[in-house]
Amino acid sequence: MTMRRELTFLLALWKANLLSAMEYRAAFISQVIGMMLNNAVYFAFWVIFFDRFQEVRGWGLDEMLLLFAVVAVSFGLGVYLFGNVMRIAEAIANGRLDYYLSLPRPVLLHLLASRSIASGFGDFLYGLICFAVAGRWTPDAVARFVVGSLLSMIVFLSFLILVQSLAFWMGSATLVSAQAANALLTFSLYPITLFDGTAKFLLFTILPAAFIGAVPAEFVRTFSWSTLAHLLLAASLLLALAVALFQRGMRRYESGSAIQVQV
Amino acid sequence: MSRRGLKYWAIFKTQLINGFAYPGDLLARSLSIIIFLWVFLFLWRTTYRAVGQERIAGLSLRDTLWYLMLAETIVLSKPRLSSTIAEAVRDGSIAYLLNKPYNFLLYQLSVGLGDSILRLAFNALAGGLLVGLTVGPPPPLWGWPLTLVTVIAAWLIDFCIAATIGLTAFVTEDVAAFEWIYQKVTFILGGLLIPLDFFPAWLQAVAQALPFAYTVYGPARLFVEPDGGRFVTLLLTQGAWLAALGMLLALLYRKGVTWLTINGG
Amino acid sequence: MPAIRAEGLRKTFVTRRKAAGLRGSLRALFHPDRQTVEAVRGISFEMEEGELLGFIGPNGAGKSTTIKMLTGILYPTAGQATVLGFVPWEQRQQLAYRIGTVFGQRPQLWYHLPAIDTFYLFGKIYELDDRTIRRRIAFLAEAFEIEHLLETPVRKLSLGQRMRCEIAASLLHHPRLLLLDEPSIGLDVVAKQRIRDTIRRMNELEGVGVLLTSHDAGDIEALCRRVIIINHGQIVYQDKVSALKRRYLTSKLVEVRYAHQVPRDFRVEGTQVLKIGRYGVKLRFDTRQTPVEAVIARLAEAGNLVDVTISDPSLEEVIRTIYQEQAEP
Repeated sequence: MTMRRELTFLLALWKANLLSAMEYRAAFISQVIGMMLNNAVYFAFWVIFFDRFQEVRGWGLDEMLLLFAVVAVSFGLGVYLFGNVMRIAEAIANGRLDYYLSLPRPVLLHLLASRSIASGFGDFLYGLICFAVAGRWTPDAVARFVVGSLLSMIVFLSFLILVQSLAFWMGSATLVSAQAANALLTFSLYPITLFDGTAKFLLFTILPAAFIGAVPAEFVRTFSWSTLAHLLLAASLLLALAVALFQRGMRRYESGSAIQVQV
Repeated sequence: MSRRGLKYWAIFKTQLINGFAYPGDLLARSLSIIIFLWVFLFLWRTTYRAVGQERIAGLSLRDTLWYLMLAETIVLSKPRLSSTIAEAVRDGSIAYLLNKPYNFLLYQLSVGLGDSILRLAFNALAGGLLVGLTVGPPPPLWGWPLTLVTVIAAWLIDFCIAATIGLTAFVTEDVAAFEWIYQKVTFILGGLLIPLDFFPAWLQAVAQALPFAYTVYGPARLFVEPDGGRFVTLLLTQGAWLAALGMLLALLYRKGVTWLTINGG
Repeated sequence: MPAIRAEGLRKTFVTRRKAAGLRGSLRALFHPDRQTVEAVRGISFEMEEGELLGFIGPNGAGKSTTIKMLTGILYPTAGQATVLGFVPWEQRQQLAYRIGTVFGQRPQLWYHLPAIDTFYLFGKIYELDDRTIRRRIAFLAEAFEIEHLLETPVRKLSLGQRMRCEIAASLLHHPRLLLLDEPSIGLDVVAKQRIRDTIRRMNELEGVGVLLTSHDAGDIEALCRRVIIINHGQIVYQDKVSALKRRYLTSKLVEVRYAHQVPRDFRVEGTQVLKIGRYGVKLRFDTRQTPVEAVIARLAEAGNLVDVTISDPSLEEVIRTIYQEQAEP
């Protein structure tokens, strides 16, 4: 019942976003294409790399393709549908939550879905192309791809909510969260087998890049209950933590009234 | 120094001091280079182990990491020049700047240099610390001054390209697209993500024939394997490109100014 | 049951101060200089259903902070309040279905879209069915005279047009209470008057209660029956607007310039001299005791007049007067 209500609401918001984007059609299209080219350049790195080295610890071009597919779809869909996810800290610091607080809907959900980043759609398409090129066209591989990418997206969104909610306590967390997002994305796009010891531990915990890239990509390759369980656990735990921290922080929300005073 | 030179020195100095106003930002920004180099460290350490050779295409693991450290430092310290200049062209403020008693391009050059030097220092320090602590000491000290000279030449080539892109705002709306393409080309053909030595031979040849390799790859490669002959060749190549691109920039600028004086701002 | 009941509302903010330059930034990083600011210090009042109540006070007096607590945007540091029977910061969503809000400096209409698109989005947000929302939009469009504006992207509307659409948007769901924070900010006189008229009409038509903040006394004069004056986070005065007018908006200020020098002991009967310059004088007088024409006549008798300006005291001056009265009863 509530799920359905919120879904109707989300659909209405996404429609408004789409209408906004269509006011600037040319810009939308150029951003989508630009982002696809951008990703292609990064992928060119791996083409050159594997041309020389063939494989590194069980990873080759095929594995990279699937990794790029999952991360690009997860990240792209995340910022396309929930485009304010990069601006939570800013909204907290500037008092832009007022608007969402004065309307009868969940503040966080409403905030996230009130903006759409056009280039995210380019990422999304690029991810689909990668998946198509990787050539796993069986129905169950497609199903695993959908599930894996969605869970990866939840991890990605939750992590950004978590980090930026610090703005409730720190006042400004814009630079810190930009760097955290940057690090998360960078690490999720490399083979997980490169990392060992502490680094690997970090990527499964504090900076959960493994659950955005390597683990869901592994799940797309081969089904296993344990991989699925890990993913589900990570996604639900992070989401619960993120929502809880945001709600806790809302009690401290200052509506932009306590800006830094320059003396 | 002549009185005219002093003027730009003062602009440069002001910009340099200005950069110190937000030390928190400086520190947070140098986090970028740490992240990138950290990932590269794992990638190349594993790759060298997997290949089982001390050197790949003539570079050791230590060489590769110090190479990437300097490459990232150069690219991450660039000023956002194209968009600044394009903005000045588009909103017409370039017309006002023409009346000021200084040369618009030299002004941008002084500002950009003041902006870059601080970031260059912070990035090199942060990146150098990481690489030094993980794969071993930097290349021999005597090569540093030579490298610095080529880094400056590289910076100037980049300035010419970026400013030329910025000035295309006279004729085109979409400067950001060119700026962006230039940035991406640098990633691969400039040798930012991976040393050109690891390329297949034909792609190496293509990259060497273009100016981008001399804005990143050239200095970074010299840094890890300093050599008098290499230095001279590099500097001469950089000089040739600088002359060609500088001429193009000057020509475009003069055209733009004429166009402005005829059409107004 | 009153529409709003507030008791001892308080809000304290902690701000960080930072000195300029490198040293200031470094110091702020390691030893942040925290300062508490009491934005609202114990506000209590009641508002009846359907009432038109005005909050006035200078910038930074605590008006917006109070409204934000009453809508559930801010948690109060202390105190209690119920709005339409709900505790705002605990039952924010239930309350939001029943009130409308407009923050003059924070537009709610989507900037790149025509207003009508935001109206339909709001229909979904408030869970109105399509027929209801369509009829409601038609009704409000007529009442606010915005039919011809609805299809234009909001970024192309003038400030006054935009504000009319904003207020219409806040009434889509038939709220019983409307909270308006500085609705007339930045508008010219004509646009202000138009906004005031529509608000009053909606109050008469649908009985919607209106709580309005402004730093422009004119808004309150034209719209409200009761007024609460806030300064430094406290209520300094609350009464009927008619009473406020009778008591405080009675004095006028006159500035005159003469062609010759003014004597140091310049005096005019029935007025109070505020300042004597070389050629000019500033005076205050009470219109109930001394009519304007009498003052002018007396000033003209005193010498060769060059220039005369008559003005109403500013809100700040009214507040100062009220303070003085409280200090020395």
